[in-house]
Amino acid sequence: MSRSHFSRSPRGNQDPTFTRTHSHSHSSSNPINTLGLPSPPPNGRRSSMGVEVRGMRRLEQRRNMEESHYLACNARAQNYNPPVDLRLLDYVSSYDNNLMCAICRCPFVDPVILNECDHCFCRACIRQCWNTNTTYTPLGPRGDCPTCRTPAKLGPRSATSKILVNLVDELIVQCPRKDDGCKAEVRRCEVQDHVNIYCGYTLIECTGKDCTDPVRRKDAAQSCLHYGASCLLCHKELQQWKLEAHWRSECPDRRVHCEMCKSPVFHRELEMHNKETCPAISTPCPGCSSRNKRGHAEAHAKSCTFAKLAPVLLRQQERLDEQEAAQKEMSRKLEVLEGGFTNMQGILFPSQEVENADRRSGDSNHIPYLRRSLVSPENADADAPTNDFAGFDWNFSAADVRHDGASSAETFQNGMASPPTRAAPAVPGPRPDDLPEPFSSDFDLASPPTFPPSGPYASPLHHLLSMHESLRDEMTRITSALSELDGRHSMQILNENLRTREEISYLAAQTAGLQRQMHWFTSAQLQRQQGRSPTPGASGSALGGAMMDAGAGAGVEAAVGAVSTAATALRGAARMVNVGGSASGVGMRRGTSEEGRTKL
Amino acid sequence: MASMSSKRLQKELTKIQGTLPPGITLVSAPDLREWVMDISIIDNPIYPPNETYRMRFSFSPSYPIEAPEVVFVVLAAPERKIPIHPHIYSNGIICLDLLDSQGWSPVHNVESVCISIQSMLAGNTKAERPPGDAEFVRSNRQRPRDINFLYHDPKV
Ligand SMILES: [Zn+2]
Ligand SMILES: [Zn+2]
Ligand SMILES: [Zn+2]
Ligand SMILES: [Zn+2]
Ligand SMILES: [Zn+2]
Ligand SMILES: [Zn+2]
Ligand SMILES: [Zn+2]
Repeated sequence: MSRSHFSRSPRGNQDPTFTRTHSHSHSSSNPINTLGLPSPPPNGRRSSMGVEVRGMRRLEQRRNMEESHYLACNARAQNYNPPVDLRLLDYVSSYDNNLMCAICRCPFVDPVILNECDHCFCRACIRQCWNTNTTYTPLGPRGDCPTCRTPAKLGPRSATSKILVNLVDELIVQCPRKDDGCKAEVRRCEVQDHVNIYCGYTLIECTGKDCTDPVRRKDAAQSCLHYGASCLLCHKELQQWKLEAHWRSECPDRRVHCEMCKSPVFHRELEMHNKETCPAISTPCPGCSSRNKRGHAEAHAKSCTFAKLAPVLLRQQERLDEQEAAQKEMSRKLEVLEGGFTNMQGILFPSQEVENADRRSGDSNHIPYLRRSLVSPENADADAPTNDFAGFDWNFSAADVRHDGASSAETFQNGMASPPTRAAPAVPGPRPDDLPEPFSSDFDLASPPTFPPSGPYASPLHHLLSMHESLRDEMTRITSALSELDGRHSMQILNENLRTREEISYLAAQTAGLQRQMHWFTSAQLQRQQGRSPTPGASGSALGGAMMDAGAGAGVEAAVGAVSTAATALRGAARMVNVGGSASGVGMRRGTSEEGRTKL
Repeated sequence: MASMSSKRLQKELTKIQGTLPPGITLVSAPDLREWVMDISIIDNPIYPPNETYRMRFSFSPSYPIEAPEVVFVVLAAPERKIPIHPHIYSNGIICLDLLDSQGWSPVHNVESVCISIQSMLAGNTKAERPPGDAEFVRSNRQRPRDINFLYHDPKV
């Protein structure tokens, strides 16, 4: 606004006539103006009146034209060069994060500090933020602080420290027209001046005659560049003044030099080249740890033995990973199995302590497997892998026993439900004849002291018997628990029944009371009617009284009947409860039967 | 304003490409309109640690002033599911007050939104969908930002 005022007046001053007529036309209405400005010569005034009026009109028109032209120019200039938004600049100098606005993440531009919470934002940022979610208020922009949500408002001049403003204004920025080619780097507070006055890439109005198109400031010294031309390479039709920009950043057929490899590349291929084909971009050798430029990669691959081996190594690596995964899986399984075995041992051991003595004393000599336990441990170890000669009879006896054990296990299984199936895998256990050699160690691990001769059981049969014993124990425990539960259950039902019966007897007493009251009411009514009947005299009335009597009597009778029906129903309910109680107690042994028989 | 949004997103992108908190990764940011992020939740038994969830951020031209639209997306390969949470519908829409026009503040950014969602999931104790999930998923044709969620549970 102030700029337009400033530049207008010199223009007007160039034309003395203009100034004069201007002052003249307003002289009558505005005497102050006349005092300050030179007045027209008084002598020529009357003689050239008509001429002057016509001239005045012409000048008026010209003035209007000039003004509108000027305004249009100004508007165009504004369009070509909108005011620089400092938040969109690229900063050359690094800046402290504390100088950064939380909304636009740039160094503060015209910072304001909210009085309510001391948070600081760019003035434009905080206004934008509040405009969207609050409507206009006459007290100025207000809203919640974006950082801490304290309700705050923007005062007419919210205080900011001059130091802060200076700090951010001193930062060096790049010219906003750097994409067009301006290499200027200026202090941020000067960037608007740079664009408006100095920058060669700012668009200004063409100096050519009758031409209002924009042109860059550095080209403005040449004559008008607004004529058609075509690009030498791609033959695109353009105006001359745009050619340089086209040449610089658009023309697909222009060759540029790759910054990495210095080779000429077509503009249209530059992106692809940078990403993929540029030989200067280094790639890692698949074998060794060296990185090679793409151009040398092939040569390196020929010489590098590692590169040749790369596919093999890759496969090896894959297999290794697979194996590792498998091994992890196996070790997890093993862990689970070991845990299971220790659990089983824990289950089996306590019963074994009690039974071992009598079992062993009872029939130790007619169990063939026991013989094996007499063999020295190293001998047993020796025959496990090879089993050529000495292994035979052992195997034989072991097989025998296994047979016995298996069949007894089967019968056992038929008799009982689940518990033996859980322990069953342990029974067949070791098979010295068909266990392959590498598994022998596993076997030692897997069936700890339970089975080898050194274990607590002399034979599978003992093992089975002990298991049977423990199961029997379990059975008796369960039976006692069951009977206990049974007793508790019957007690519970009995208590329940007692309470119900009490309630019912209470209800029955209530009903009886009601019945009595009903009777009393009925008799009172009858008496009253009998007392009233002789007063009107005559037989007719007596008849009517009798009739009424009968009617009332019938009604009362019906009511009494209903009450007694209710009573019987109640009694029936009580009986039902009793029957239910006895029915539920059928399976119980004691107490319940006589309980069922007791009457209300 | 469009340029302010792109300027800010550009800055966030360069920062995100540098460092990100554990469990949050930038998958792609093809332009400054739509970003794809992956998050994983480390110490919550509801979410297996090897499972990763994919979020799509869509930015409007008035981005820092206006909240981005954030949804979880389903993908076949690599497998990405919608995490189960009482505030996440099975079509991926997140009911988080940070993301609606009232709760949003321009000082938030992609990273802070990711962290918020991650901590929302990490603190979750109920493996369930919001009430009326099936009905909502069947009937909803609105964009997430146009939905008026009722924040029945103010503590999340
Ligand atoms: Zn700002
Ligand atoms: Zn604040
Ligand atoms: Zn410049
Ligand atoms: Zn021109
Ligand atoms: Zn060209
Ligand atoms: Zn290159
Ligand atoms: Zn190599």
